[in-house]
Amino acid sequence: MKSRKWTLVIVPLVLCILALSLDVGGGLTEAQLQEDSEAAKDIRPPTSDKEFPVPVPPLPKTITPCRACHGPEKDFPVNFRRRENLLVHTNIRLNHGGIRLWCLDCHHPENRNYLLPLSDGKNISFEQSYLLCGKCHGTIYRDWRYGIHGKRTGFWNGAKSYYLCVTCHDPHNPRFKPLVPMPAPKKPWTPPEVRAKH
Amino acid sequence: MSDEIISRLNHSEVSPLKYDGEISHSSLEGPVMDRRTFLVGAASVLGMLAVSACSWEEFIQNNFQRMTKEEMEHTIERLGEEYKAKYGRDFVVGVEGPVDHTLFGYALDIQRCIGCRRCVYACVEENNQSRDPQIQYIRVLRFKDGDMDLEHSTIYYDPDEVPQAGYYYMPVQCQQCANAPCTKVCPVKATWTEPDGIVVVDYNWCIGCRYCMAACPYMGRWFNFTDPVIPADKINTVTHYLGNRPRMRNVVEKCTFCIQRVRVGKYPACVEVCPVGARKFGNLLDPDSEISRIIRTKRVFRLKSELNTQPKFYYFFAS
Repeated sequence: MKSRKWTLVIVPLVLCILALSLDVGGGLTEAQLQEDSEAAKDIRPPTSDKEFPVPVPPLPKTITPCRACHGPEKDFPVNFRRRENLLVHTNIRLNHGGIRLWCLDCHHPENRNYLLPLSDGKNISFEQSYLLCGKCHGTIYRDWRYGIHGKRTGFWNGAKSYYLCVTCHDPHNPRFKPLVPMPAPKKPWTPPEVRAKH
Repeated sequence: MSDEIISRLNHSEVSPLKYDGEISHSSLEGPVMDRRTFLVGAASVLGMLAVSACSWEEFIQNNFQRMTKEEMEHTIERLGEEYKAKYGRDFVVGVEGPVDHTLFGYALDIQRCIGCRRCVYACVEENNQSRDPQIQYIRVLRFKDGDMDLEHSTIYYDPDEVPQAGYYYMPVQCQQCANAPCTKVCPVKATWTEPDGIVVVDYNWCIGCRYCMAACPYMGRWFNFTDPVIPADKINTVTHYLGNRPRMRNVVEKCTFCIQRVRVGKYPACVEVCPVGARKFGNLLDPDSEISRIIRTKRVFRLKSELNTQPKFYYFFAS
């Protein structure tokens, strides 16, 4: 009778210890944690200015530097109003972001040699324009940083050259332009009598 | 009737039953070849050599996998001379081995591809493919939106501009299968999978039976029905023995991920040329490579995965 009482105490105790030691959900949680840390690494912002070896941005030589015309000492006052017909830059037809975007949503109103800063207050140079693009296109920017979006050349296990967003997408009209395809492959030769049947 | 046949046999001079009671001299001294057989054999070997324009050294050349270092050097030297005589230029025939801890993988963003065929022609130029008859390792299939039936696709589309509305494009080339059916059927082991995952062909060992072409479900292999025609000024002189060195008639060739480029660290030619950056290449064993990241984070699929060929070529959707 006494031994049965002991059994009633010991069996649940052993079961509890077993359950604790097995820790059924432990492996899964660890995997999830690892995945989370990887995801966190993925969205970690760039820490250095020289992180991406990018080419020189394709700026037109005739209108740069912008400060030559747009400057505090020049007679072009800052105009935040959206207008259809510009006096200069007539080649630019803004087709980006619909009616919500205007020149000064990206270009710095006080210093046109730069783009608008991020929250750190540091003006963005044209060489780092991808930082500004990433402000709206965050997921694409994340993919670009890891070479999933956009093009890279160079070495698969070494130095790579990135293409800037603006190398492929004109920032004023970002849709990728259609291309003329290369010639189609030749069809295998078939005798005329066979060809007629098909 | 049967009596007639028996009587004919009995009177026949060439009857196998006829025995004249003497044992011939040759049968006592082992298998000595008679003069007639020797002459016929020698003439046919010499005749075959003469017709195939195959040098004696090429005839006795070993399989690439079994070659010693000396044999390899000797073969490369001979091939360089052969190519120089044919194209008038100095060739580099590389034999770079696989890089350690490397398994090459490829990914293609099916949403980005615009079907411009730049990759097709970059591949032709890089890999010295025949211009006439035309050999192109990459086929760009055009599908109607919403349709994934390969039978409904075409490779002969020719509009003024691409991409066309209502269509999408899927380039297909050798899928570098981990469980490659083409290497299993080769009766002479002229094709095999390298340790870095590239399926290669030893053109000098290939007998041109085309079993591998029948086995490949992706139409990833091409046969040289005639001598390949490549303009001498268009030839790429930086080559690899298992890759883009000039081929001969009656051998099979295929995409090798540009083995002459990737073994020295470069991207394949099709990756470098793609204007939309839809093509991605890298080391599957490196968790930080773009290819590994794509497989981990994007929606991917492999062509005809139900066949268990286990391609190392992934199609993916970036967004």
